[in-house]
Amino acid sequence: MPSLLVILPLLAVLLLNLPLNFLRRLALPAALLLALYQAAFALGVLPACCAGCPTQERWFLNALDPLTSVLLLAIAIVAFVSVFVLRATAGEERREFNMLNLVFLAVAGMNGLVLVRDLFSLYVFLELASIASFILIAAHREMGGLEGAFKYLVMSALATMMMLASIALLLALSGSTSFGAVAEALQAHARHGYVLTALGLFLGGLLIKSGVMPFHGWLPDAYSAAPAAVSTLLAGIVTKVTGVYALIRLVLDVFGFTPATQQLLLIFGAISVVAGALAALGQSDMKRMLAYSSISQVGYILLGLATGTGLGIAAAVFHLFNHAIFKTLLFVNAAAVEKQTGTRDMNQLGGLAQKMPITGVTSLLAMFSTAGVPPLAGFWSKLLIIAALWLSGFHGYALLGIGASLLTLAYFLSLQRRVFFGLVRAGCENVREAGWALTLPSLLLAAILVGVGLALPWLIGTFLLPVKGF
Amino acid sequence: MSLDTIMLLVVVVPVFGSLLLPLVGKVCKSTRNGLALLLVLVSLAGSLMLIGPVMSGKVITLTFPTGFGQMMLMADRLAVFMALVSSLVGAIIVFYSWGYISHYENQNEYYLLVVLFLGAMMGLVFAANLLILYIFWEITAIASWRLIGFFRSPAIVLRADKSFLVTFFGATMMLLGFIMVREQAGSWDLPAIKAALVGHPLSSAAVALILLGILSKSATLPLQTWLPDAGVAPSPVTALLHAAVLVKIGVYAYARLFVVNMPLPEIWQTIVPAIAGVSALVAAGAALLETDLKRLIAFSTISQIGFIFLGLSIGGELALAGGLLYILMHGVAKGGLFLCAGIVEQNTHCKDITKLGGLIKTMPVTAIAFLICTFSVIGIPPLGGFFSKYMVIAGAAKGPHLWIVLSFVGTAFLTIIYLMRVFVMVFMGEPKTELKSEGSPVMVWSVALLALLSIAGGLLIYYPSFFATEATRQILGLIP
Repeated sequence: MPSLLVILPLLAVLLLNLPLNFLRRLALPAALLLALYQAAFALGVLPACCAGCPTQERWFLNALDPLTSVLLLAIAIVAFVSVFVLRATAGEERREFNMLNLVFLAVAGMNGLVLVRDLFSLYVFLELASIASFILIAAHREMGGLEGAFKYLVMSALATMMMLASIALLLALSGSTSFGAVAEALQAHARHGYVLTALGLFLGGLLIKSGVMPFHGWLPDAYSAAPAAVSTLLAGIVTKVTGVYALIRLVLDVFGFTPATQQLLLIFGAISVVAGALAALGQSDMKRMLAYSSISQVGYILLGLATGTGLGIAAAVFHLFNHAIFKTLLFVNAAAVEKQTGTRDMNQLGGLAQKMPITGVTSLLAMFSTAGVPPLAGFWSKLLIIAALWLSGFHGYALLGIGASLLTLAYFLSLQRRVFFGLVRAGCENVREAGWALTLPSLLLAAILVGVGLALPWLIGTFLLPVKGF
Repeated sequence: MSLDTIMLLVVVVPVFGSLLLPLVGKVCKSTRNGLALLLVLVSLAGSLMLIGPVMSGKVITLTFPTGFGQMMLMADRLAVFMALVSSLVGAIIVFYSWGYISHYENQNEYYLLVVLFLGAMMGLVFAANLLILYIFWEITAIASWRLIGFFRSPAIVLRADKSFLVTFFGATMMLLGFIMVREQAGSWDLPAIKAALVGHPLSSAAVALILLGILSKSATLPLQTWLPDAGVAPSPVTALLHAAVLVKIGVYAYARLFVVNMPLPEIWQTIVPAIAGVSALVAAGAALLETDLKRLIAFSTISQIGFIFLGLSIGGELALAGGLLYILMHGVAKGGLFLCAGIVEQNTHCKDITKLGGLIKTMPVTAIAFLICTFSVIGIPPLGGFFSKYMVIAGAAKGPHLWIVLSFVGTAFLTIIYLMRVFVMVFMGEPKTELKSEGSPVMVWSVALLALLSIAGGLLIYYPSFFATEATRQILGLIP
């Protein structure tokens, strides 16, 4: 029953906070178990969904389709990994417990968000996930974290205000907030100025939440200043679900593809792809570079979505999943490097591949996957996005997308050169591999990257392409 | 064992076997070295076993039904010829590495990447699907990136990055070209593409994009700049990458894609030879001015690749067979030159030819091997290089572009000057450095073997040229 995925985390928060001391120690295993349960659940329903999903609507949360189950899987994987990172980096026990509670809330929010088919419920869960992450970013109560959280809060508040206003307008138009009713009403009044205002407000809000350029101001600060576990969770999945997934879902199910939305997505996607990659080239803070890379990759997802074809949408969703895997992996590696060396400044690092072989190799795999080097998973999603763009006649954007993967490779090679490859820098001689709490998730994620990449030619017909069949 | 199993093993054994090498290396170094050579020898033996069947006219195919088409691997004469050349030179280079690389750190990584590289090369050779081809293409790029940066100092890693970026740029453009082919022909599989394109030449935009990939990999103008810089790699790697295998990937892809499967618009039969001519001439000029031994040989490679492109692109049976034969002869001879340069560099710690001299007195075997390989590259009969060069020029002279052929004759003349200049400056004259004895026996044996192969390739020219001619006739559809 999908609703359990929302109820269980909320229940966990309630139970764990009962005034009994031993319960505190159960928080970590509970979080891992929940994530495993969710992953098993998502994997279990995925084949059925892809084979022609019977959408059950008995409860308000029971709507399952391929897109939802892929997202549930991604949420589970990233949450699982983040809990490990949290264990390795949180420090005090009390803080670890508090952060775990917030992770539960964020996961409940994200799960609800991908399961609902109603604008207002979507808004509620979106806020739940976002608010939990504001607090998580500031959890260490340092200046940087507070600043990052504040920026995110302000931009997010603006975005949610726009969305809420839009929901109000749409409610007034259709008399309901369920996806189906709103979509019908929108079809009936397609080119009305009133409708366009509502759509514009909503899309604007979602673009801010996705951190698309030029609405990205909050993102690098939030990602780089957050505690390691939080930036893993945030970059891997929170902003992807609250922004990008919501955008995909609403464009597909509610707003529909009009030439105007397509143009909007193409333009913002292209700006993000190129400007994000260029900005990443200039960074010397490891996590900031990853943050800009995130912006650039979200651009690809938008480009794939913008084609409006089955192939393009499937590719966009696949890239969203891949991004969750490889970006999480990179943030885990960044956490390992920061923990072992005490710095994120790439100019003070060097030759770590020799000292931290697992971190070095997995980071290499993740970077190649991001840049679209075969045979890793990211190659296939990027290939399909470019192919979809080309086949839909957006030749210029296809060229731009493929050219930008060169920029992606360039900034990642510069990261490799400064951090991992090269001679061991003075001061890094005694660095060792971080503990299993960080290497184990790295290996897990790298295995997914390679496994999905190698198996994809066989999976594409059964799992990937049916994603379009919403 | 059925033939398609052998073909699969030729690819799979080195690709997956390479991943074991670091693990074995943690336990025992000499076992690792032996295993690395063994993996490459499996490829060589498998390729040898495929000769008989393909020469009797069989085309071995192995299909996997996937979401991206049916066909994955296919062995015809061209593929087996190329696999033989790569695995033969590759095996000698791995053998040489036993001596050369034993002085350095990170040997596990070295053997892993070299064997992975050769395995990917095998996969690329047998690929009959554009995406499979592309995947192996990029694996070779990753391996060569890491190998060029093997010594890890900042300047070296920067050059490794440069070579990766240049070839990656070419590869992405080629991928876009592949997508256009897919759009036009409706399939990623080469046989299906061939069938769909009969009577409809590929669009010139797709040709140009794919050509960018090929030129970047084969270090031909205007994407040649990474190759001389890549000389900072360990010498066996430069031999592997720059002489024998990596740069031949582009040439092979040209033959596989444009000669065998996709008919080109008429105009490209002028454009490609012209690019090759300019590239050959310019690189020969650069080689004349260069004083760094390995950079000089790298420029010579760029120049010689031009001859191969000429043979493959000008059309006609003789030139095509010459081009294929050139791949073999140049791989062997240029591999020998790079490995000799490696011995010189390791013994004298000097790559500047103006500061070297008189080495023939203490390193006679290396010097003579160098001289023989030089003669082969120059094209002096009866060495192997003579026949291939003769066939390419003679075949091209039958075509309409006399001025292009003349420029190649000029390049061949320059080749004599710059290569003899190197030999004289490094090995003859007065010693300018402290004289050292020969390199380790393994290394000397390797270069001697390559020199002997160059001689044998000339004296026994019947066999390789028969193979190349038969492959050509199959490509042109004259025999099944």
